[in-house]
Amino acid sequence: MTNNNLNKLLAFCVLFCTQKTSIVHGAQALETKVSLLLHAEPENPKCFAEGMSDLTCFWEEDEERAGSADQYSFIYTYQNENSSECSVTALPAAGGKRLYFCRLSQTQLFVPLDIRVFRDDLLIHNRSLFIEVVFLLDPPANLTLTSTGTQGQLKASWLPPSLKYMGDSMMYEVSYAMAGSHIGKVEEVQASSELILRGLQSGTKYKVRIRVKLDGISYSGYWSAWTDPVLMETMPGDLDPLIVSLSLIISLVLTLLSLLVLMSHRRFLLKKIWPIIPTPESKFQVLFFVSLEYETRYEEWLGHSTGGLWLRPTYFYSEEFPAPLEVLSEVSLGPVLPSSALPPKASEALGEEEDEDKKLKRVDPALMEGWRETPQEHWPMDQLRAIHRHPAPWTQSSLLESHDAYVTLNAQNHSVEEPLDDILEETLPLQVLFASGRTSSESRSDLSSNVQQSSGSGRLSSQSSFEYPNHTWPSKGPGYTYMAVADSGVSMDYSPMSSNKIDDIGKGVIYTNEYKNEIPAHRRPIGSPIHFAF
Amino acid sequence: MSSISGLVAVLLTVLQWAGRGLPSPVRPICDPRVLDRFIMEARDTENALRGCKAGCGVTGTFVVPLTNVDFVVLETKDTEEQALEVQSGLFLFGQALGAVRESVSRAAVKSLIDNNKSNIHSLGQVLRSLHIKDLSLSPAPAVGDSATRKVSSLSELLRVHTNFLRGKVRLLLTNAPACQQNST
Repeated sequence: MTNNNLNKLLAFCVLFCTQKTSIVHGAQALETKVSLLLHAEPENPKCFAEGMSDLTCFWEEDEERAGSADQYSFIYTYQNENSSECSVTALPAAGGKRLYFCRLSQTQLFVPLDIRVFRDDLLIHNRSLFIEVVFLLDPPANLTLTSTGTQGQLKASWLPPSLKYMGDSMMYEVSYAMAGSHIGKVEEVQASSELILRGLQSGTKYKVRIRVKLDGISYSGYWSAWTDPVLMETMPGDLDPLIVSLSLIISLVLTLLSLLVLMSHRRFLLKKIWPIIPTPESKFQVLFFVSLEYETRYEEWLGHSTGGLWLRPTYFYSEEFPAPLEVLSEVSLGPVLPSSALPPKASEALGEEEDEDKKLKRVDPALMEGWRETPQEHWPMDQLRAIHRHPAPWTQSSLLESHDAYVTLNAQNHSVEEPLDDILEETLPLQVLFASGRTSSESRSDLSSNVQQSSGSGRLSSQSSFEYPNHTWPSKGPGYTYMAVADSGVSMDYSPMSSNKIDDIGKGVIYTNEYKNEIPAHRRPIGSPIHFAF
Repeated sequence: MSSISGLVAVLLTVLQWAGRGLPSPVRPICDPRVLDRFIMEARDTENALRGCKAGCGVTGTFVVPLTNVDFVVLETKDTEEQALEVQSGLFLFGQALGAVRESVSRAAVKSLIDNNKSNIHSLGQVLRSLHIKDLSLSPAPAVGDSATRKVSSLSELLRVHTNFLRGKVRLLLTNAPACQQNST
């Protein structure tokens, strides 16, 4: 029982709310239509039909002259029929006025209707009309915008007013404009419930609204109120093929023009981008020619070796940053070096050099003997064995300045002062003197590692730079030649070329003797990085 | 070979003869624009002859049908009753326009009257296409006097004529079963 009561109460509430909503909506619609007719219809009373069988008439009175509703009489008469009276109701209006209404629930169309309004038996309004020409419909419902799949188009669809017999007599006015713009277009369509809007901008939001009116042939009336606007964005635009093709053509033309300009000024641009780096050949013609000659002869001299160890001739020509010299050569012991003692001056020079921080490392002459006897092809391994059997002492030798490398061949017999352990295999028989910059321990470790790596291969090879600021070269026999090579390239900043070196060289005697490679001494320019000491 | 050709010729002859004799079915004319043109021409005639002096020389009274349409009542009438009203009304208008043409002397007025009479005749054919019997040529109206009234001027006659076409005739054509079948 309680549930039934609750259900009834709930149903009543829903019905009341629904009707209240509809009443409110109806009141709003009536207010809209009244305001429309107040502007559109000059005659009084103003009448409009909303459907097939109704008619609503109203008139407006000032508050001052307005009376109560029962003071008014609304008399209507169809042609060839008797008069009838409609009850009048009053509603307040804005601006201190009152509205009086009369509504007929059953009407006759296509026949004249006479209307007379009396206030206290005084005729205030008189009008004859045909009801079928005073239709004022509700706006179309369910206005929907959809995409047609084509750019620049939107499809508007709606529900026409539900009036029987009049579907094919309705005409619609569709207003569309870009969102936010007040300038729009209007299109009319008859007896249809959809319209395709064309010529729209791609990727743009549009605002569309619609209103309805009867076409005026059989039925006519006033334009309805506009629907609430509906917004929708059109499809984004694709690239117009014409625009794309024109853009490509223009870009191609611009590219060709730029290429033409570049080609016509290529020399100027090349000078700017790749400037010619001056080389000192023109200024040091003699030096470089001599160096070239030395290099050629030196390569020939190295060519006697079985390979594996080489001396980079970049000392003279390289423009690179001075790099440690990576050398070791396998000097052939075939040709016997002429044994000759150093002249006293050279010895003094050497001694002075030893006193300074320039070191020369010497090989034990015993080792040289062994080397001399060993065939050239077995020379590397045999030398190593010889070295281990007779470790040559290292004597302090003066060093050149940084980045200088010396390969010296010392023919003097000097006792070995240091254990041969310090001598690495790849330094024999040619022993390279390196400038400071790296510690001897580092160099030793590098060399040792390299030796370990290369010993198994049967070759003496070394990629490391090694410096022995504190090592002395073991003295060697006359078969060895010490040759100093600078690896600082054309920077001209190698010790033999520096002023200091020149001075140092000047202090001592740079003694060059002929040796098997036949490098003539007179061809050695002053300040040459090559030192030959015998 | 000759026997086959002769047989084909005989068959074609028979079919052609049968096509002449048998009445071909009339396709229903449901396009509302047909009647709309008749309505607009009747309206144009009404507007043109509204200011005619002394009624364009037309005197006498004319019997015309009632034009009022009550949709509530219309819903209760079937198509045949509606068709009867339309047919009798068209007959009365035909008679009245014929009498008017005899009364006027101006060629322009005669031309307009002739056009409207022609349209009434065309409407009869439209109704026939909808399987509605054409009673416009009947000697007597099928409805009683209560369905008619009398007018005494040309302008009133033309106005009633326009209203009759706009209302009852149009509703009949719109609701004709033949047109409803075509639309479904």
